Amino acid sequence: MTLLGLALAYAGFLALSLAMERHHEQVLAHRRIPARRRQLLFWGGWLLLAASMLPPVAAFGWGLGLVAWTGLLTAAAMPLALLLCYAPRVALFLGAAPLPAGLLALL
Amino acid sequence: MKDGFRQSMAWLHTWTGLLVGWILFAVFLTGTAAYLRPEISHWMRPELAAARPGPQNAEVAMAAMQRLAPRSTSWFITLPDTRESAIRVFWRDPAPRDPAARGRGFRSAVLHPDSGEAVAARETQGGEFFYRFHFELHYLSVFWGRWIIVVCTMFMLMAIISGIITHRRIFADFFTFRPAKGQRSWLDGHNVAAVLALPYHLMITYSGLVIFMAMAMPWGIERAYPNDRQGFNTELFGNAAPRPRASQPVPLAPIAPMLEEAARRWQGGSPGRIAVNNPGDASATVQLTRAGHERISTSAQSLTFDGATGAVIAQSGEAGPAAQLHGVLYGLHLARFAGPALRALFLLAGLAGTVMVATGCVLWAVKQRQQAVKAGRVGFGTRLVEHLNVAAIAGLPLAMAGYFWANRLLPLDLPQRAAWEVHAFFAVWALCLLHPLFRRGRRAWVEQFAVGAVAFALLPLLNFFATDAHLVASAQAGDWLRVGFDLGLLGCGALLGAIAVKVARHAPAAARRPARGPRAAEATP
Repeated sequence: MTLLGLALAYAGFLALSLAMERHHEQVLAHRRIPARRRQLLFWGGWLLLAASMLPPVAAFGWGLGLVAWTGLLTAAAMPLALLLCYAPRVALFLGAAPLPAGLLALL
Repeated sequence: MKDGFRQSMAWLHTWTGLLVGWILFAVFLTGTAAYLRPEISHWMRPELAAARPGPQNAEVAMAAMQRLAPRSTSWFITLPDTRESAIRVFWRDPAPRDPAARGRGFRSAVLHPDSGEAVAARETQGGEFFYRFHFELHYLSVFWGRWIIVVCTMFMLMAIISGIITHRRIFADFFTFRPAKGQRSWLDGHNVAAVLALPYHLMITYSGLVIFMAMAMPWGIERAYPNDRQGFNTELFGNAAPRPRASQPVPLAPIAPMLEEAARRWQGGSPGRIAVNNPGDASATVQLTRAGHERISTSAQSLTFDGATGAVIAQSGEAGPAAQLHGVLYGLHLARFAGPALRALFLLAGLAGTVMVATGCVLWAVKQRQQAVKAGRVGFGTRLVEHLNVAAIAGLPLAMAGYFWANRLLPLDLPQRAAWEVHAFFAVWALCLLHPLFRRGRRAWVEQFAVGAVAFALLPLLNFFATDAHLVASAQAGDWLRVGFDLGLLGCGALLGAIAVKVARHAPAAARRPARGPRAAEATP
């Protein structure tokens, strides 16, 4: 459950960062972002961040869950900040992490 | 006006941060280590096997205390839990032989959870040392140590708030880290470590102040409870007021029915601590406090029983909102409620705080050095900060490794052995403070990080020769905690080694640009 929350938070932050020109260029080599894609990334990112709150809250209840969620946000954003400059490709591929993590949580 | 305000906040941020930065770095790093206090203690007592505490340990502990300290006026018992396999007890010594001893008339022991016998383990403070150091330092009276920490924590809170105001592009630069750009990279690193873990930094700093609120802000309490600190404590912490000794011997009532009563009132919860006052007297009280890992708040749910009859005298736990907030903040700071995954997150955030302070201190030195090079001379202040940065930031991990080495190398029968382990920690740190006098600039950084890396990486190897609780034996015995700790030490070594290599290979931006002073590149990593 923690893993799924982490993966969702990472994907959310990744989408939000891709909605910014500097990081869009780092990862996808174009500075200009089509307006619709920017909208999609921006709102999708916030949606994923909101969704990342659910697994820890479901696992630990509201009190502990929110504490864990705050920690997960930090744990997701820090590697992203480093990957964006050192390994932007990896940063992009890790964005798919919610899929395997979700499957693992279902098992 | 807005610019003026930002400027003054930047000034405030710089100076509040720099003045106490070195202490804050030590507080953050040792405090982060304190999240692993039971694990460190277990590792530092290689004689202890991984015992599986049975359900009877409260009875075992009470019987042991009857034997150990029948005449004491108070016992404090910490029961084993998932992380700590031994019973820890301390009690007020009825006739202290050495009143000057640290501990002020208290004696302590570590007991086996099944037999109640004192475990035969080397004398050490274990993880307790890092925990104590991070809020009361050492070689100082508890009073001064705590005051210094409280003042530094207030500076920290000011630095965080003024830092948020100073940071113009908090969202635009949210994920931005630009390496190999000199001062810019240090600023980016400082921002990333600060902003991405900001909830943690605010929580840990503010809750640290709340823990010492009676010291730092006593006026409210004194107004509401004039000359009655005991009354305040009774209402806030649910501690029953002490009953005067009746001097009438009555044996303690059995603990088992009290445990059942506690489990009933706490919906199956179990006690983590037992405090007994005046045991063996008609006035005896037994206070059960609910285990810390069952809830966030430390505003401890407790039950107080009459020690002679076993009847419930007082129950706390229905605290008012302010007391509940106090308990939650206290609990968040200690993070005893956290399971392994959550504890890993706290560790990560604690390390982020450590990096934030370290990069802040280095950033100041880098900026000053650049200005000094432009002006043509490097002042004493810049040199002093650079020197202290090395000793505080690279020296502390090395000193911590020295503490672990001393634990394995000091003879087992050395008098005051636990104290000597701590002396070893400070001796290594003192050497780190002298070392930059002889090796200037980047060399000092690289050497201290490299020696720290080697010292950590060799610890599992030292374990092979110095103890029977080495990696292979622990794995065979199924003591995964020890195995994990040894691997963690290797990880610390690898991390410090990576930093050393990075610093050694780094060519500062100023050096790559021509027409700069010859010493521009020397002092900063």
